[in-house]
Amino acid sequence: MSFVSKRAAMLAACLSGLALTASAALADWQPTKPIEIIVPAGAGGASDQMARMMQAAIQNNKLSPTPIIVTLKGGANGGEGLMDMLGSPGDPYKMVISNSAIYTLPLANKLPFDWRKLTPISILAFDNFVLWVNANAPYNTAQDLVAAMKKEPEGAYKMGGTGSKREDHILTAAVERIAGVKFSYIPYKSGGEAATQLVGDHIKVNVNNPSENVAVWRAGQVKALCVFDNEVMDYPAKVTADKSWKDIPTCKSQGIDFQWIMLRGVFLPSGVTPDQVAFYQTMLGKLVETAEFKEYLEKQALKPSDLKGAEMVKFLEKDEALYKDLMTQSGFVATN
Amino acid sequence: MSNDPNAEVDPALVSTRSVELVVMALLLAVAVFLGWDNWRIGAGWAPDGPQAGYFPFYLSVLLGGAAIVGIVSVLRSVDLRDEVFVGRSAFGRVLRVFIPTILFVFLVQVVGLYVASFVFVSLFMIVIGRLSPWKSVLTGLIFSGLMFYIFDVQFNVLLPKGPLEAAFGF
Amino acid sequence: MEALDSLFHGFGVLLTFHNMALMLIGICLGILVGVLPGLGGPNGVAILLPLTFTMDPTSAIVLLSCIYWGALFGGAITSILFNIPGEAWSVATTFDGYPMAQKGEAAEALTAAFTASFVGSIVAVMLITFLAPWIASFALRFGPPEFFAVYMLTFCSFVGLGKEARHKIIISLTIGFLLAAVGMDTVSGELRMTFGSVELLRGFDFLVAVIGLFGISEILLAMEEHLAFKGQEAKIRLTVVWRTWMTLPRYWMTLLRSSAIGCWLGVTPGGAIAASFMGYNLAKRFSRDGAQFGKGKIEGVLAPETAAHAAGTSALLPMLALGIPGSGTAAVLLGGLMVWGLQPGPLLFVEQKDFVWGLIASMYLGNIAGLIIVLATVPLFASVLRVPFATIAPMIIVSCAVGAFAVQNAMFDIWLMLGFGIVGYVFKKIGIPLAPMTLALVLGDKAEDAFRQSMIGLDGGLGIFWSNKLVGTITTLALIMLFWPLIGKLFDMIRGSGRTPAGAASSETSRP
Repeated sequence: MSFVSKRAAMLAACLSGLALTASAALADWQPTKPIEIIVPAGAGGASDQMARMMQAAIQNNKLSPTPIIVTLKGGANGGEGLMDMLGSPGDPYKMVISNSAIYTLPLANKLPFDWRKLTPISILAFDNFVLWVNANAPYNTAQDLVAAMKKEPEGAYKMGGTGSKREDHILTAAVERIAGVKFSYIPYKSGGEAATQLVGDHIKVNVNNPSENVAVWRAGQVKALCVFDNEVMDYPAKVTADKSWKDIPTCKSQGIDFQWIMLRGVFLPSGVTPDQVAFYQTMLGKLVETAEFKEYLEKQALKPSDLKGAEMVKFLEKDEALYKDLMTQSGFVATN
Repeated sequence: MSNDPNAEVDPALVSTRSVELVVMALLLAVAVFLGWDNWRIGAGWAPDGPQAGYFPFYLSVLLGGAAIVGIVSVLRSVDLRDEVFVGRSAFGRVLRVFIPTILFVFLVQVVGLYVASFVFVSLFMIVIGRLSPWKSVLTGLIFSGLMFYIFDVQFNVLLPKGPLEAAFGF
Repeated sequence: MEALDSLFHGFGVLLTFHNMALMLIGICLGILVGVLPGLGGPNGVAILLPLTFTMDPTSAIVLLSCIYWGALFGGAITSILFNIPGEAWSVATTFDGYPMAQKGEAAEALTAAFTASFVGSIVAVMLITFLAPWIASFALRFGPPEFFAVYMLTFCSFVGLGKEARHKIIISLTIGFLLAAVGMDTVSGELRMTFGSVELLRGFDFLVAVIGLFGISEILLAMEEHLAFKGQEAKIRLTVVWRTWMTLPRYWMTLLRSSAIGCWLGVTPGGAIAASFMGYNLAKRFSRDGAQFGKGKIEGVLAPETAAHAAGTSALLPMLALGIPGSGTAAVLLGGLMVWGLQPGPLLFVEQKDFVWGLIASMYLGNIAGLIIVLATVPLFASVLRVPFATIAPMIIVSCAVGAFAVQNAMFDIWLMLGFGIVGYVFKKIGIPLAPMTLALVLGDKAEDAFRQSMIGLDGGLGIFWSNKLVGTITTLALIMLFWPLIGKLFDMIRGSGRTPAGAASSETSRP
């Protein structure tokens, strides 16, 4: 492309530095065909955005000798994309960007999928969950909300989230148990939809990821009550007129002692060679150092992660057990 | 289409009446099957509104009902009896397109889309269009080549590819 | 006026040689991807998105949005010439566009379609220019009950229109609804009617079904008669454009109505397809000779095209102003915005003036340039019908296969397309209409989701559909539309005129 902007020129400067280190640690295996990033989600969602960002960062910094192609396979809450990965053993030209659907789909839908049948490469980031209410709502803390809810009949407060029996729904059920309240949970197709529905006051609360609500937060249309994590988010730059991500307190400090984060990880199909795994780990290792990726993390308020290999497997085991436990408690595990 | 001269000389292969009966019976069977499956996953009205199988179940009932109405109305209708669904030679012409198409799709699975479309376009032109072989082969070649250039080279669209492309390293 | 100042600023951003060149490239590429079935719109933009990563955001959006305009124009071409809708919202265009082509009026139909697209887009852009903030807040008023009411209005304006036997319309509708329900149920999170098949997990894609039902079945039908598509005798001269234009002013009401429907439904997400159907239905209902619809009436091309493109254009507004995509293409562009380092949402209009107004300016110029380019190529496209059938038919079949495959990168979908081809062939011959099926397939699961989302926590009270002025009005309108044939009869009875009741005429489908 002959049309190079200033931003890209700056990146090119960074890139020449990277290229030196890249050639030093050249993996033995190199792709000779385009690499497909499978997105088990719909267009415009968080996974899609991540894939596009990776495509741009890899392409602009020449981290792969061949082009990157993004393929959306969002059917059945991503089950389509995951089953596609399962059905492509030994294909080193497919990687999937996955979230917690790898646990929820087999449990809630008896989908014959198991992440152990894929090759875990690395977890690039973790996504937080924040408790959001409409900007005009009278409460400013989670305690206020819980107190207000207890005055109304059960289920009077509508909670919106992405899909049914998935991370938002599980989190809602956990909050209900801890705080002793009851929501009417309304499943939407995407977090973006849940965000607009909150602004339009069709629902009272949502537990969107920061990236799903950041636009309406900055416009002063919603309020962030607390974040479901052990510590506050580490982004001190102001996002709205007077608040940064770091200013959102933890829900633990507001009486809802619950931690809930979601992985954004990359897997290859089963049966790929160690050389190929090494290539992808090196490529993704360089990817997380790029300016694009860092900017992306900050914009989406994601938690950086460097889990890979055995550590990643250990995390997945633990995380899956947690999902299984919570989903069993909420009655989301398929029985028939 | 009734003013087509062929229609008069073309003996009937099957009447519209029989086809309609078969289609309605098939639809009824599908409706019963889907109705049963949706009943299985729950077709009631839970506290939070209709269950997953509620709408599909009643849709199946509706489909089944309409199919039964269809069967009855076909049986009672008089004018459908002599109506020709498709004539022998007309159906022959349909098969002359449809069978090659099925073979083409099989071929796509074996040798990939580009080679298959070359073979399909060229042979179709030669055998069915009775066009001159060299023109047909050239057309097929240009068409496939252009498709490959647009989809694979320019736009990176991953279409099914076979051994030939692999031999050239694509 | 502030909006005009901003707009002129936008033109200033756009009127560089670099951006104008990108605009032309974009439109030509867009027409190309629009003509190839299955590649238009979302896929085309997604494929070309990587080319823009290194550009500055304004140039990038100019290129991509012009691809979008080009694809919008191009989508009508295959619908009219071969009865193969390139896009979901081109389905309604085939109802009259293809019969026109069969009558030898392909050039007129193409001209009408392109001009209608242009009118729809321009009305929508003007709306965006002057009323953006107000419209964005209007879109926020749509919750599940409102969405359901809109879908119901679309269905109700459709039912009772067909001349086929009632039970056949019901069969078509229910099959469409059932196909739409296959896969994951959003509200309960359960799988339905997949029978353990991995291929059925993703459900039935609309485009795959439509390419088979309309495209493949049409080729089979054409074969039955003779080795040709009808209508090669089309007179192809550029004066056709002028002659068609002269007839358009008399359809101002249709154009206006469809533009309004399109703008309204485009802003409420997911409305472009509903808009094209509703535009067509209302034109048919209110036209003086509605009975001629479906037989090649120019109004039947104008109405859906205007509505679809007004919707397609205004669908960009919720994407920019709210960060929710109003259409598939808008969803892909949304991904692009993030890559270019922009944050869609209410602040975009404040923080990124160059970008937003550059885009809006490019909507004006892009559509004007697009119209000129496509009109100039009308003779070229219409002359495609002169290519021998034995040459063009296999190429169309290959394009259909590519289109079906590219939707989800699945071989299974090509087989599915063939299956739908057979279904379409048989249904057309025994007089089961295909249009209700396609409409139900597109909107069925959305309508069901919206209904059940409305019902949650209500213990089955239907009062929610009259719970405020907005939803109450739409619901009531829908019921009026549903019972329109009855109401019409009542009026006739009062006036004492003897009109033939709707639905009494026998099937219009041609039988040999």
